[in-house]
Amino acid sequence: MVAASEGEKLATMPAPPSISPALSMPSRVIDTNVSLFHWPFRRLPLDEVNELCAKFQQLGITEVWAGSFEALLHRDLRTVNERLLRACQNREELIPVGAVNPTLPDWKHDLNLCLGRFGMPGVRLLPGYHGYALGDAVFGELLETATKLGGFVQVVIAMEDTRTQSNSIQAPNVDPRALQQWMKQIPDARVQILNCRPSASDLRTFASIPRLTVDTSRVDGTDGVATLVKAIGIDRVLYGSHSPFLIPEAACIRMIETGIPGAEVKTIMQKNAEHFRNSKNPSPQNQQRQGQ
Amino acid sequence: MTFGLPPTETLRDYRIWDSYFTPAFSHPGTDGTRDLIKDIERSMTAIQLGHFEKLCYFAHVGIGTTTDPALENLLGTQPQLVLKPLERWPNKLLGMIQLNLQNTKASLEALNQWVKDGPMLGVYFPGSGPGAANCLDPKAIRLVERVSELGGVIMQHTWLKTGGKRSPHESTPIELATLASRYPKQHFLCAHAGGEWEQGIRAVRDTPNVLIETSGFDATAGFIEMATRELGSKRIVFGSHLPSRSMGTELAKIIAAQISEEEKKDILGRNYRKILSGTQSSK
Repeated sequence: MVAASEGEKLATMPAPPSISPALSMPSRVIDTNVSLFHWPFRRLPLDEVNELCAKFQQLGITEVWAGSFEALLHRDLRTVNERLLRACQNREELIPVGAVNPTLPDWKHDLNLCLGRFGMPGVRLLPGYHGYALGDAVFGELLETATKLGGFVQVVIAMEDTRTQSNSIQAPNVDPRALQQWMKQIPDARVQILNCRPSASDLRTFASIPRLTVDTSRVDGTDGVATLVKAIGIDRVLYGSHSPFLIPEAACIRMIETGIPGAEVKTIMQKNAEHFRNSKNPSPQNQQRQGQ
Repeated sequence: MTFGLPPTETLRDYRIWDSYFTPAFSHPGTDGTRDLIKDIERSMTAIQLGHFEKLCYFAHVGIGTTTDPALENLLGTQPQLVLKPLERWPNKLLGMIQLNLQNTKASLEALNQWVKDGPMLGVYFPGSGPGAANCLDPKAIRLVERVSELGGVIMQHTWLKTGGKRSPHESTPIELATLASRYPKQHFLCAHAGGEWEQGIRAVRDTPNVLIETSGFDATAGFIEMATRELGSKRIVFGSHLPSRSMGTELAKIIAAQISEEEKKDILGRNYRKILSGTQSSK
């Protein structure tokens, strides 16, 4: 057997400062990417609302932006959104984010309900399942209308790895590049990308699109979140788990594994989501970055 | 629980042995080690946080498993380069070698050099790259038989992709089960449980010498629960796929699963230690 060396000392020495045991969860944590009810293709261990909320409580997640799995395939989105609203009314940590499908007739009615009577802060779009591209004029119209109504827009890039989808129902990953044009044309638009496992090319695209924010749910690699922060800026990364489809602990553990400082962890897990939800204007840091 | 991780004592008690550590997986660097060492160092934060006891990586040994002829020549003529990671982390790393299923002669020689007479504990059958071949290819059979003679472990890359294979050299869990049924005394590790694990688990269910490995796909909920129900916890081994995947993704699959703590210990290390025990004791 070979002798121990300096490298072995590295492997057994105490954790480096970036993963100090003193690092604790922020007192408020916002998960911007959760879905309620049943995934259409199998039952999930946490697909009942009470069990899911108990898990969030255990993990220290204090606010959850919840969409609905039903929105993938249902066309009667009003009742989908009403069920979502009712489920969230019983739990103060759940913030409903309704679904709109702009390929359906009179989609503006759903949008108005969500951002008006239902009091939702934003809407979640599923272009891969609903059959349109972000370059389509109707997406621009939706984004502009949502912005005028004061709502943000979450764009789901994928719900699952294309390699594991049902043979009968396959949804392509959504191409985000057309957002460049819309975010320039609609200066107050607030858009968050969900469920992207970003390639180097995706990171360059995201960095080039003004004000675009991205969730962490499928940002993989041991330093994946740090790489995302470096590419697009700390103020544009929002914590998201894509639970219960993905295991809630996965995104949570990744926040300390990635080696980013505690202050930035809080920014990602709390402050950025608060700012995104509450403000129609880009943060001062982002304005400065865009001006560089 | 902090950030979803169990307490340190619990993590230590799991005795985590990682069967699928992938630093610089496709190419260790033009000098034979630089990128490999760099990726191991890159993984150290996660390794320390997770209190991993051991990690097994898959070494290139100069038999044509990369697309870089200069590297292949370097590793073939300076085999001491292959040993560098094991020398640097002797109590942390375990090694297996990547075989070239397109070059049986070189692979058989490498088996003698690195498994029979060297420190490596088994082999990796790739699913892509110049060394890949379908696991039912006749070229693979001779290698399986020799690994079996040496008492080594076989890690076979597997995926079941929607829309079908991207290359004829890829293997599915269905094909691995067919191969494994011919060698019932040989342990086969079904890497990634086929990726699409609902089918992968079913494919190997009736082939008891196949164990599934847990890494290489998103932290999809319900995987370990189904695997434990259908295969039993004794037929599942943990893999991290670090650093290209995260500890969050891979460890969460096990620690957050709705199974018993004893079943978690089986998956996180006990099973892997057991199948390696024969090979390790002969080193």
